[in-house]
Amino acid sequence: MASTASDRSFAALTAAGALVVVALPFLGNDYVVGVGLTVLMWLALTPSWCVLSRLTGYVSLGQVVFYGLGAYLVVVTWQAVPLWLAIPAAGLLAATFAALVGGPALRVRGPYFVILTFGLAELVKFSIMAYEAASGMAARILFGAPDLMVIYWLMAVLAGMSLLLLTWVSGSRFGHGLRSLRENEEAAETLGVPVERYKLLAFVLSAAIPGMVGAVMALRSTYFVVGQVFDPMVSVTVIAMALIGGGDNARGPVLGVLFLALLSELLWAQAPLLYMIILGAILVVFVLLVPDGVIGLARRLRRAETLA
Amino acid sequence: MTALLKVQGIGKRFGGLIALTDVSFEVPAGAIVGVMGANGAGKTTLFSLIAGNARPTTGDIQFAGQSIVGLRPDQVCRLGVARTFQIVKPFAAMTVRENLRTAAMFGHALHRTARAADTATEPVLEEVGLAAVADQPASTLTLSGQKRLEIARAIATGGRLVMLDEVMAGLTPTEVTQMLDTVRHLHSSRGLTLLVIEHVMRALMDLCERIVVLHHGQLIADGRPEDIGRDSQVLAVYFGGTR
Repeated sequence: MASTASDRSFAALTAAGALVVVALPFLGNDYVVGVGLTVLMWLALTPSWCVLSRLTGYVSLGQVVFYGLGAYLVVVTWQAVPLWLAIPAAGLLAATFAALVGGPALRVRGPYFVILTFGLAELVKFSIMAYEAASGMAARILFGAPDLMVIYWLMAVLAGMSLLLLTWVSGSRFGHGLRSLRENEEAAETLGVPVERYKLLAFVLSAAIPGMVGAVMALRSTYFVVGQVFDPMVSVTVIAMALIGGGDNARGPVLGVLFLALLSELLWAQAPLLYMIILGAILVVFVLLVPDGVIGLARRLRRAETLA
Repeated sequence: MTALLKVQGIGKRFGGLIALTDVSFEVPAGAIVGVMGANGAGKTTLFSLIAGNARPTTGDIQFAGQSIVGLRPDQVCRLGVARTFQIVKPFAAMTVRENLRTAAMFGHALHRTARAADTATEPVLEEVGLAAVADQPASTLTLSGQKRLEIARAIATGGRLVMLDEVMAGLTPTEVTQMLDTVRHLHSSRGLTLLVIEHVMRALMDLCERIVVLHHGQLIADGRPEDIGRDSQVLAVYFGGTR
């Protein structure tokens, strides 16, 4: 294959990255570990989103709903259910929710699916807000949450799981079926791809890890506000990271996450007022000039090089 | 010869529009049967009903002795029925080889790995004349190439019955001749049963041992090509004239 050299350099990069993840808590202070946690959180969310939205072309703008549901479950069951049970349960809740709404939602394609998933996430957010208000719970405080290091390690595991999931799906027969239906759903179905089942499975798989991410992140801020864990900016950021990365496998999301997460950390610290403006400008540039992301750009440059 | 495909009294309505009424015919195993008819006669609808893309309002369809009405397209494909699309539907961003891989992995052949699928589709690429462009994106193919890709994908499913929907429409006379050779070769080398929709009369007369004729959703003739050419009803429909 033509890409063995870049495969090897990516493998080396992955190993180096894993080393950094492991070493960080021993070397850095709380601020550095906090940044590491943020990066890991996006690394857990973005590849999961890619399983559905990259591979099938059904772009979900409601990824935060799984995160929010997971967070809410942990908060509601706080001190009643142990964490080792609550975190997987959060993943299960998110996956179940995806399985329930996926059937009807995945009947619509293109912009309709985008809007539908956004609306669905908002619907769940406002329903829970109304319920919390009615039961007199404006905000909740979590006492005795585990410390930053525990949260960090949990998130590292989730990020690893998410990257492995995308890598596995992308290289599997299932993944080839998803890519086929992305190109043409009717042709794929007529050639034997069980499109309905595959789309739903991809949706469920893309939900489980974000549910657990939400559960773990709820422990980070001891103070729980519904609007915060269902913040649509989470969904938008995931899409931005996947877009900047590009490609069908784990490489794209990794590059996109690193680039955007570190950039926003820098901007928050140096120029908080400019943060959203610069972020917006970057997105516009990518959508217009590099629609297939860093991965696509690298591929094009390589091709140009071999031709020259 | 036993019938591989039995179509029994099928009809299809789209709301108030009647697309097909009480159509019955059989396709013997190993045969090449042509489907003729003007635009809107219901030919493509017939293919969609057999392939499971649409469900008949009435009647039954049997493949290898088993009713396939109500099955999804992917299930019908896995049983061994493949079709092409008149309006081509390539996986544009994938290479030609990857297009065939989908068919070989998910169709009747059901290869579990990409490697096994690619090994199985290599001869198909040769036979259909796409070997030279195997690693090009499907979007770069000419119309003739895309029609060939439709055929190649259908063959790559490993199905026994392959339905070709106007694979020669829009091709130059030379390309039609080449395509006829390809289809004939595939039929004999792979022992396929073919059901062929075609507007190019010469092609149908040349290729088929039997032809069924649809007109306004009804089957008006079913017989050997030379008899179809003399059938008064067919002549009336095609050329006008007295009854």
